[in-house]
Amino acid sequence: MRRAISIFLLIIVTVGISMSLAKIPFGVPKTKVGRHYINEGVKETGATNIVTSVVVSYRGFDTLGEVTVLFIAAIGLGAILSTVRNKTVKEIEPASLVLYTGCRLLFPLILIFGTYIFIHGHLTPGGGFQGGAIIASGFLLIYLGCRERRISRIASNLAESLGGLIFVVIGLLGLVFGGYFLLNFLPKGTANTLFSAGIIPIIYIAIGFKVGSELASIIDNLIEES
Amino acid sequence: MSFLHSYAYYIGAFGLIFIGLYVILTKHNLIKVIIGLGILDTGVNLFLISVGYITKGTAPIFSRPGIDSEDMVDPVPQALVLTAIVIGVAVLALALSLAIRLYQHYGTLNLRKIREQRW
Amino acid sequence: MVNPVLLIAVPLGLAFAIPLFALFWKDAAKYIPPAALGFNLVVSLLLLPKVLENPVIVSISGWRPPFCINLVAGPVGVLFSAIIALIGLLVSIYALDYIREGATERYHILYLLLLTGATGVVLTGDIFNLFVFFEILCISSYALVAYTADKAGFESAIKYLIQGAVGSSLLLIGIGLLYGLFGTLNMADIAQNIKSVSPISVFVPMALIVTGLGVEAAIFPLNAWLPDAHSSAPSSISAILSGIAIEVGLYAVARVIFTIFGAQSILPFLAFLGILTLLVGEMCAFSQNNIKRMLAYSSIGQIGLILFALAIATSYGVTGGLFQLISHTLAKALLFLAVGYMIYRAGSLEISALEGMGKKMPLTCLAFAIGAFSLVGLPPFIGFPSKFLVVRAALATKETIFIVLIGLALLGTVIEGAYFFRVVQVLYFKGEKPNPPKKDAPVVALVPMFIFVVLIVIIGIYPKLVTDVLNSAASELLNRLDYIRSVLG
Repeated sequence: MRRAISIFLLIIVTVGISMSLAKIPFGVPKTKVGRHYINEGVKETGATNIVTSVVVSYRGFDTLGEVTVLFIAAIGLGAILSTVRNKTVKEIEPASLVLYTGCRLLFPLILIFGTYIFIHGHLTPGGGFQGGAIIASGFLLIYLGCRERRISRIASNLAESLGGLIFVVIGLLGLVFGGYFLLNFLPKGTANTLFSAGIIPIIYIAIGFKVGSELASIIDNLIEES
Repeated sequence: MSFLHSYAYYIGAFGLIFIGLYVILTKHNLIKVIIGLGILDTGVNLFLISVGYITKGTAPIFSRPGIDSEDMVDPVPQALVLTAIVIGVAVLALALSLAIRLYQHYGTLNLRKIREQRW
Repeated sequence: MVNPVLLIAVPLGLAFAIPLFALFWKDAAKYIPPAALGFNLVVSLLLLPKVLENPVIVSISGWRPPFCINLVAGPVGVLFSAIIALIGLLVSIYALDYIREGATERYHILYLLLLTGATGVVLTGDIFNLFVFFEILCISSYALVAYTADKAGFESAIKYLIQGAVGSSLLLIGIGLLYGLFGTLNMADIAQNIKSVSPISVFVPMALIVTGLGVEAAIFPLNAWLPDAHSSAPSSISAILSGIAIEVGLYAVARVIFTIFGAQSILPFLAFLGILTLLVGEMCAFSQNNIKRMLAYSSIGQIGLILFALAIATSYGVTGGLFQLISHTLAKALLFLAVGYMIYRAGSLEISALEGMGKKMPLTCLAFAIGAFSLVGLPPFIGFPSKFLVVRAALATKETIFIVLIGLALLGTVIEGAYFFRVVQVLYFKGEKPNPPKKDAPVVALVPMFIFVVLIVIIGIYPKLVTDVLNSAASELLNRLDYIRSVLG
């Protein structure tokens, strides 16, 4: 009965959406805003990766909201999982020597790779969120391989708060120096070099550290439960 | 047949949305419902990206000085999907932590039995 | 002149900085939300006289709209942000003593971020930005509903989360369809080009967006999560959810329908849905024994009345709807704050357990009674001029459908009066012991409650204090062309 009703509702929704979708042809350029960003993006923001200039500069406010959402998820997760009643200390079987050494060898390489991705966010595909996720996967490797190591809570909380605070402060500095929130007030440099595009690499570095430490603390909270 | 070929991405995206909504509406196990939520998010993100695709387009990155910008895909949906993926991850993380605590309190993950609040 | 961006940026920065302050000073987390919300209140009140004529358009990152995100600080936006800041400030003062156990630092961070998200929703002029701030609001409320860490809290939170997440996905599909049709995400730009496509292809995105926003705005039949969530949350959070979150959701629905789509044809359907919500809410509230569930169903009923008033779409109607929204916010927040300490002293959520509270907690029960009378619509409280304005607006349209619906709304008011008077009777006129020990709520909780009472009484006696602002707000919502012209030039 419930299945029949749900399938009926879903068919109505799908038919409605496909009628509307017939007006949106696939594979055809259709937007004026996107064309403006591609044509003027390098000149106006200095970043050669147009997606980065859209994410950080043209629609930077959305990125601020996104960073806040991830912060809320980490804090909410900590709040929900913090009042656990009986924490039984279980015997953790130590990992074998090959696994332990392999994880310790890979961990700094993964961190370097993640850092490379978010530092070069304005030149190559990537950016703060992608680099942060890779850094968190390095920490996950340590949790799974070398089982009794834990990250320091204070350091990860500090990294989270400082990352978010730096983003908001840079926005407010733009307000002070130029009259617009998140204005690109640093010199744009020559395109396609590492030190270009004004505040974009700085914001991405802050986001990279923040996202990496946040996802690592989420994993830490969840692993401590089991 | 060419209709199917040109609209393949849309059909795939809406297939995923349909499957995700069906799982959320009809399954009783909380973990299955959360997986359905993940499938729904994936379908919506795929739909958003395929709105911006241009046939035979390349990534919007000016990696060489003389690159042709005529057939670059639209960068705005990619920025939207970046945000939407992160929001989806946040919701899934919260849902899983609630599932852990619900299992501790009720001993079961069957949504039919987790119904103490009546009327 | 103060830049309206500060209304969002300063609370956001302070919320990120709370863990850093908490390293040095243990109690910092309690005092930062009142400070941030006090700043917001001052800035909103400073901005309000300047935006009554022309809205202030703020572009982010220095580009011109529609190639950037812009904030539209008009009378509606600044009025709402003033209300959010006022209610948030008073409830955070109440929570200085009410929230004692659990992860208190995290509670305050989530609380401040919820209110920042709400302020962002009312000020933004870009539809994807609306989605992002709406998600900030929703996700912090999912986490805060589960704060009490008991069975009821977790169950309500997971049901709220699943329904809210499905609603957000539908909203995102609607936004994607709009982007595919128009090529831009700016609200004024979409509004300008809305006539260039056929109405049938705009209908599906509008239905999806209204459904997605309607889950949070608690329109029937999308409000199954509301009674559980509002009754299992801690009372300060119930006050914020009932007083701010669902109203902001309803603002988003109104903004989308009036400004972006300009859809006159869907309004009778929304009016009918509003009265249906009203009747369902009031009838379910009448049969409740749990006091917080009763107040939650009453919130559903009042949202139905506000939706009906907004759907009348004349200047009287929208002004009446906004006035009713303010009166509901003040009264419902006061009711939840009073009930918080009454439940704490009585030890149970049943109405029958509150017998004789009128003598044990005289000031708190007086506040509850004033809030209840205001919600029903008795003079000299704020509920009376607001309901009167709604009824007059419905009668002024001279269409039978609205007259029939307003008659049903008055029936709902009668039911509302019945169950609130029943509670007041239990508080004051039952109870055996002649002189029980008086142990009222602490001063930190009584001060916000009495500021609410003072506001309810003063605006009830002199409604002219707010009607000018409400008139400009109503004309901003209704005049799409002025909105488009002020954003795009």
